Amino acid sequence: MESTGGPSLLELDRVSVHFGGLHALRDVSFSVASGEIVGLIGPNGAGKTTAFNVACGFVRPSSGHVHYPAAGRSNVHPSELAHIGVARTLQGVGLFPHCTVLENVMAGGHIRAGGDFFTSLFALPRGVRSERALRASAMAMLERLGVADVARQLPSAIPYGVAKKVSVARALMSEPRLLLLDEPASGLDEAELEEFSALISELRSTMGVLLVEHDMEFVMPLVDRLVVLSFGEVIATGSAEEIRAHEAVIAAYLGVDE
Amino acid sequence: MGARWNQRVVAGTAVGAAAVLASWLGVGTARAATALSIAAVVLVAALALISSSEFRRDHPVVARAAISVAAVDVSLVVTGFFSSTVDSNLAIGAAMSIVLLGLSFLTGSSGQISIGNGAFMGVGAFTVAIWANHHATTPIAVVLLLAVVAGALVGLLLGLPATRLRGPYLAGMTLAFAVAFGAVLNLFSTWTGGDSGLQLPYAVNAPAWLVHFFQPGTSSLTTNSVWLVDVTIVTAGIALFFMANLFASRTGRAMRLVRDNDVAAELVGISLPRARVIAFTVSAAYAALGGGLWTIINNAVTPATYGFALSITILSLVVIGGIGTIPGALIGGLIYAFAASVIAWFTAHTGLNPQGNVASQLNGIIFGGLLVLTILFAPTGIAGFVRRRWAAWRSR
Repeated sequence: MESTGGPSLLELDRVSVHFGGLHALRDVSFSVASGEIVGLIGPNGAGKTTAFNVACGFVRPSSGHVHYPAAGRSNVHPSELAHIGVARTLQGVGLFPHCTVLENVMAGGHIRAGGDFFTSLFALPRGVRSERALRASAMAMLERLGVADVARQLPSAIPYGVAKKVSVARALMSEPRLLLLDEPASGLDEAELEEFSALISELRSTMGVLLVEHDMEFVMPLVDRLVVLSFGEVIATGSAEEIRAHEAVIAAYLGVDE
Repeated sequence: MGARWNQRVVAGTAVGAAAVLASWLGVGTARAATALSIAAVVLVAALALISSSEFRRDHPVVARAAISVAAVDVSLVVTGFFSSTVDSNLAIGAAMSIVLLGLSFLTGSSGQISIGNGAFMGVGAFTVAIWANHHATTPIAVVLLLAVVAGALVGLLLGLPATRLRGPYLAGMTLAFAVAFGAVLNLFSTWTGGDSGLQLPYAVNAPAWLVHFFQPGTSSLTTNSVWLVDVTIVTAGIALFFMANLFASRTGRAMRLVRDNDVAAELVGISLPRARVIAFTVSAAYAALGGGLWTIINNAVTPATYGFALSITILSLVVIGGIGTIPGALIGGLIYAFAASVIAWFTAHTGLNPQGNVASQLNGIIFGGLLVLTILFAPTGIAGFVRRRWAAWRSR
């Protein structure tokens, strides 16, 4: 499989998923390397979300494997993702509704926060110090994304575009090597789209990014590579230009959908 | 770390010293006055620390300890002025507060429901009684710790298979435990005393030095109920401090994340089974501590106390007080403490037979009625209701 630049972070190897008699994915293979942005596109029902869920262990492949070569792991459970340097945002915003924005972002650094149950129970200095450090770095992350002013608000009280940034801030808190973005552009206005585009481009310097997206205008200029799914199969991979010219893609997707 | 809270402590201690002088003049015996003065100094110093938001931010753990100390301090002083009946009820209620803290953590933080906490209380209650009957010389603090460990172990054993269960299924399993508990006690009747339960082989009395301090020349306190309620209150204060630590820490946050959005919680690296087992074990350990204290207060334990109805009462009290909040658990404990007084007052004024059918159901009527009122008018419990009114009043 082709890859640009750095070490490979995620490899789907001939993954198939059946739900009963329905083939959601059939022999899907693609990879994401450090330093590149890969877009996963396809018409509705093509299996984008299933492929994404397989990549983070929410759905077990019926056959085939999911490898995380940089971490030396395969087929992990979702709760292990953060530990092997993989972060994911959820469709919509997926924030914790009864926790403040700051707590939401602190949650992203959960694995970095020190101390077990007894550290918490006895309020040992180690745990208190690490909570304080986590709070400070969460605040710094909010400032980096320009949304520090809503730190004390609940997610329900902030605009959608801001909440999306908070969800990215949360994902970045675990210092991932691979970031999985589930429809980062949905529900954003023009100005916010531009900001997000710039932000994601900037992330390329330290990690690999895989994103599922509908919005072609957002995806095309942003990604290094596209993987196109149709009826559960990869029908094309390549740069934005290659995909634009690809006949099967035009037939399956671009020509029909938009 | 500015000078502001330091100044408050100094000022507070000065006020406390003034209180020392005042109480020497005002209160009967010199020694009672000394005790009262120490209490006043401690209270003022604690309040001085708590009142500084700067201090609360820089030293959260000390501030939490100061809140616990202040609450215990006030409680200890007021118990000296109550009748022994009220003190006994307060002791029962303070122990209940500990149980409610545990369930509040389980339900409010991790979002699970347990209908078995009455039985977990029973585990602690019988642990204390059985141990004391076999090893009468073990210090009571150690026996209570054993009750906590026993509760945690049983909670862990039940919690492990329950980790794959959620919502109604976990509740169903805890229900099964609550129902089966009585039968298990009967199965081991040589240890548990069967239906009649166990007596403690000794009464838990105040240590000699304390008796000597307050009542020189006597061997035990004239009203031991004061001692029992004070032991319970101090224990509750310690339990409260630890619970506040949990709520404010990484562990507590993990619980809230699991409750709010379990998918997102997994993605930040939290293991759901682990979080659920921890919450369940903590709630069982707290319940067992409360039950162990009941054995000490009542000087005996009967299996009938720890039936299914108690588990339901505990659940109602958590909802009435306010799920997931520490004040809510304390309010629930107070309601439980004074329900007995209210019933006594009611039967005395209506001529209702206190041993009769109606009177024996009054507890259920009171808690059931309060529960309905809470759900209708204050879904976040009394603590949530007060907090909202307070916030509204301040922003006026």
